[in-house]
Formats: sequence, C-alpha cells, structure tokens
Amino acid sequence: MANIQDTKSTSVIIGKIVVYIILGIFTFLALYPICWLLINSFKTTQEFQLNKLGLPGKIDGYESTLINYKDAWVRGKFGGLILNSIFYTVVSVAFIIMFSFMCGFAFAKLQSKATFALYGSFTIGLLMTLQCIMVPLFLMANWTGLLDTRLGVLIPYIGIGLPMGVYLATEYIRSIPTALIESARIDGAKFFRIFAQIILPMCTPLAVTIAILSVTGTWNEFMLINILTSTPTLKSLPVGIQAFAGALSSDYGKQFAALVIGLLPMLAFYLVFHKEITKGVAAGAVKG
Amino acid sequence: MSDKEKAQRAGVNGEITLGDVKNEKKIRRKELTSKGEEKLAYWTLVLPGFLIYFAVMAFPTLFSFILSISNYYRGGQLFGPKAVDFKLVGFGSYAKVFQDEYFYVALKNNFKIVLISVFGQIPLGFILAYILNRGLVKFTGFFQTVIYLPCVISTVVIGILFKSFFSPTGAWPEVIRIFNPAYQPTVNANPMASVLLVILWMYTGTYLLIFIANLQKIDSSIIEAAKIDGASEFQALRYIILPALSGVIVTSAILAISGSLKSFDLIYVMTGGGPANRTTVLSIFMYDKAFKGAPNYALANAISTIMVIISFLLIGLTKLAEKKFGGKE
Repeated sequence: MANIQDTKSTSVIIGKIVVYIILGIFTFLALYPICWLLINSFKTTQEFQLNKLGLPGKIDGYESTLINYKDAWVRGKFGGLILNSIFYTVVSVAFIIMFSFMCGFAFAKLQSKATFALYGSFTIGLLMTLQCIMVPLFLMANWTGLLDTRLGVLIPYIGIGLPMGVYLATEYIRSIPTALIESARIDGAKFFRIFAQIILPMCTPLAVTIAILSVTGTWNEFMLINILTSTPTLKSLPVGIQAFAGALSSDYGKQFAALVIGLLPMLAFYLVFHKEITKGVAAGAVKG
Repeated sequence: MSDKEKAQRAGVNGEITLGDVKNEKKIRRKELTSKGEEKLAYWTLVLPGFLIYFAVMAFPTLFSFILSISNYYRGGQLFGPKAVDFKLVGFGSYAKVFQDEYFYVALKNNFKIVLISVFGQIPLGFILAYILNRGLVKFTGFFQTVIYLPCVISTVVIGILFKSFFSPTGAWPEVIRIFNPAYQPTVNANPMASVLLVILWMYTGTYLLIFIANLQKIDSSIIEAAKIDGASEFQALRYIILPALSGVIVTSAILAISGSLKSFDLIYVMTGGGPANRTTVLSIFMYDKAFKGAPNYALANAISTIMVIISFLLIGLTKLAEKKFGGKE
C-alpha cells in the first residue's frame, strides 16, 4: 500500500517537474527577445557589434548608456507621434463603444424586420480580411478628399472596430431581461431614455471589454494608417517607428531604443490591465 | 360651485360623445406614436454605426470586386469633368493574376502560414492551457500573462526586432555559435522559416487564452468522477475534454485561418516580401501591385477578391469538417 502511494507521488512529482520545464521554456521564449532588445538598447552600436548577447558594460571601454534613447527621441519625433496615437485610439474607441451599444440595443430589444440583414452583415464583417479593403479604401479616401486627414483615419478605425463591438453588445443586451424594458415602457419612458438610463449603466463591464479589445487593435494598427496618411505629423507611433527604425538597418543602438519606445506604451497598458485583457480576449474570440 | 366650474362641467357634459371620439383617437395615435417611436428609435440608434460600417467595410468589399473586373488600371477620378473612361471589361485581370508566377509563391506561403496556425498555434495553445488549467502548477496567472505578452506588442516593433535578431549581423549567428562554434552566417537559406517562427511566437498566446476560458467552463466534477471510475489522465482528455471543446477548436481554426490571411504587417516590416519575393504573401503581393511602382488597381483588387474567396472557402471547409468528424455537441 505504501509502495503504491510512493510510486504515485513520485510520478506526480516527475509530472510536475516536466510541466514546469515546459512552461519555463515557453516563458523564456516569450520573454527572451524582449529582454534581449531592452538590454541591447543600452549599448552603443559599436559595443553591440562586439557583444551581441551579453549585458552592457561587459567589454572594456564601454558602459551602459542612455544616449540611444536621447538620439532616437529627438530624431524620431516620437513625442508628437505618441500624442497622435493617443488621439486616434481614444476617439475611435469612444465612438466604437457608443455606436456598438446603440446598434446592440436596437438589434437586441427593438422590433424591426431589418435586424436580420443588418446584424447579419455585421457578423460577416467579423470574418472579413482587412487587406481586402485596403486598396478601395485608399481610392475612396482619395476621391472624397479624406486622404491624409485625421478624419480619414478615424472613420475607417471606427468602422473596423464595429463588427466585434456590435456583436458583443447585441449578445450582451439580449441577456438583459426584456421585462425591465417593458415595465419602463408602461411607466411611460421613451426608448432613448430606457437606453440611456437602464441599458447603458448595465453595460459598463462590457464597455471595458470592448475598450480593451479595440485599444490594442487601434493602437497597433499599421497597414491602413501607413497608406492613408503621408504627412509625418499625422502618423501614429507604429508608423513612425517603422519609418525611423526600419531605415536604420545598421545603427542598431538607435534602432533598439526606438523599438523600446514603441513597445513601452502597450507594455504599460498590458501590465495595468492584464486581467481584463486576458478575460476580454476569450470573450471576443468565442464568436463562431 | 363657482360659475367657472359650472361652465366647465357643462362643457364636459355637453361634449361627452365628441370627447370619447377624441379620446379614442388619442389612444390610437398613442399606439401609432409608440410604433413610430420604436421605428424612429431603431433607425436613429442603428444608422450612425451601420453607415460607417457599410462605408468602410461592406461597400469597399463589393466595390473591390467591381474594380477588379473594370479597366481602372491607373487610377484617376471616377466622376466630374476629369473622369476617366470607366468600363467593365471582364475577368482579364484575374487571368493576369493566375499567369503571375509570384501569385503561386504568395499562395504557397499563405498556406504555410495557415498550416502553422492551425497545426502549430492551436495544439500548442491547447497543451499549455490544459497544463495550466489542470491545477498542476502554481503561478497560473503569471504564465498566462507572460505567454500572451507578444500579442499586445505592436507588430511593427516585433517585425523590426526579429529582422535585426535574425540578420547575419544580428544575434542569431551568435546564438547558433553557442551550440556550433564553427557556424558561419550565410544568406538565409529559408527566409520563410524565420517568418513562420515569429508568427508561431506571436499568436500562440491567443489560443492559450481561448482554451483556458473554455476549459474552465467544463465541470471538473465530471473529470473527477471519471478518474474515480479508473480513467487515466489521457482517457479523460480523449473522451471528456476534447469532445467538450470540439466547437471551440473549430472556432479557433476559423480564427486562425482568417488571421493567417491577415499576416500583412509582420511580413511587410520584417522582410517586405523579400529576398527576391520569397516570403511574399497574397496581401503583400496585392500591396506591391497597388502601391509599388506603376499602380494596377484592377489587378490588386482581383487579388483581394481571390483572397476573400479563399478565406470563405477555407472557413466553409472547416465547418464541413466539423459536421463530419465532430458535431457531438
């Protein structure tokens, strides 16, 4: 009897060790490139050429330095680009949330024959590949004069974020009991009032989910803003990073510093909201 | 009783029938306004969002198809005095796409990405989620957070980072030298392999999160009961957990397929489709036709229409496979 228990506990321990090793490897793989980048951003390019894997300051005559950051920050004009990114993200996410709840309430609780077609077209949008609208959007922006304007960036961003938001909002509002709305109707409340005073306050948790899903998407978006803007002062941080760091194929020091600057905002956002983000991703993904 | 009140009473009494009719009308009007109000509310709530969605996503997708069968090669105004002579000329652009050798290179690379997503990211994500969910380890939250981390970082940053990391003057040759000191960096023999590796690195965390969320929904008492009845860990996995997750696996596969066709940013930044177009994918191929050198918008839109068709075909196939092999839900 004791023997059986012994073998069982040893196998459990071995299993645990194996599992920890697997997870350790994945953790290492996930973190290593980022740590490598961070470490090397404190080396000058000369030092990096001599010491590509180690910590800075290991080679005589060199020590860790912030000069890369200073150079990159000044030459890349990242301050303005970060403000642009914040502007694009905040405005489009606010509109995505507002329009999503408006559509979601109408689709879930108001009677109309149009719902089937309209809601259906939003759910098809969930599967659409964005690349396919790249060229038509560019041409349309060109014809309407929206090319290279802030509005011309915001409108596509809102439209692209809507399918996910509308889908989540509709499913969420559907689960709110209709009796609540009916009793408010009997008391004489108009639909707009019901929407503003009953539905919206109940949707705060979902607003957080939609916000988090759209913030990462909008902040990191690169392809569209890259073709829709040409004036440097209208571009977002990722485009600026690509323009600055992508061109520096041999000046690694500045390139790495620029990449860290590009990485930090989302890293900070993730560290603060990682619980909400990991929950939101699962909620957003289950949509098949 | 004052005179005023008397007068009022008389008035009310005198118009009793007329008042009834008015009341009825009022009720009817109220019903009507209620219906009308609902209609008004519906359209005011739906239209702003739908119009933007339609203008940005639905219309361009349809419009892309129209452009693909038109003679709109070089761009220019469609309306107004300087309008170009816009005609539908048929499927010539598609024929041109199919004659282009790089189309097949791009197609092949896209399928490699689909394969690594469906058979790499999903199984890895599942294994990790399973380990974390079975309560075998502590710090579940930490592992989950770290493995998902690459997904929140800008693709641009990741692309440039790995471009430098894998470059012959970057760190990769040094890493190899730890294991093989005689290694000499050469021109990358298989540039697509590093792209695939990065794609695997970036997105496995997404599937980890999806599987964890759904594993948590499975009633653990069922698994415990099976264990008491003598089922092994593997049997529990094979006969309880996997069938319960079949729907999620299909959803993940659909996500992976539509995501695979989206792989523009990373490749654009990391390799630009090069060297010699060997890492090109359909979206890069299309971008080159529209924005590099002399544009050919009809051709680019033909490629994008082909992408839409491929994406829906693959998703349809996945759904079919689900019906045939899974469908026990």
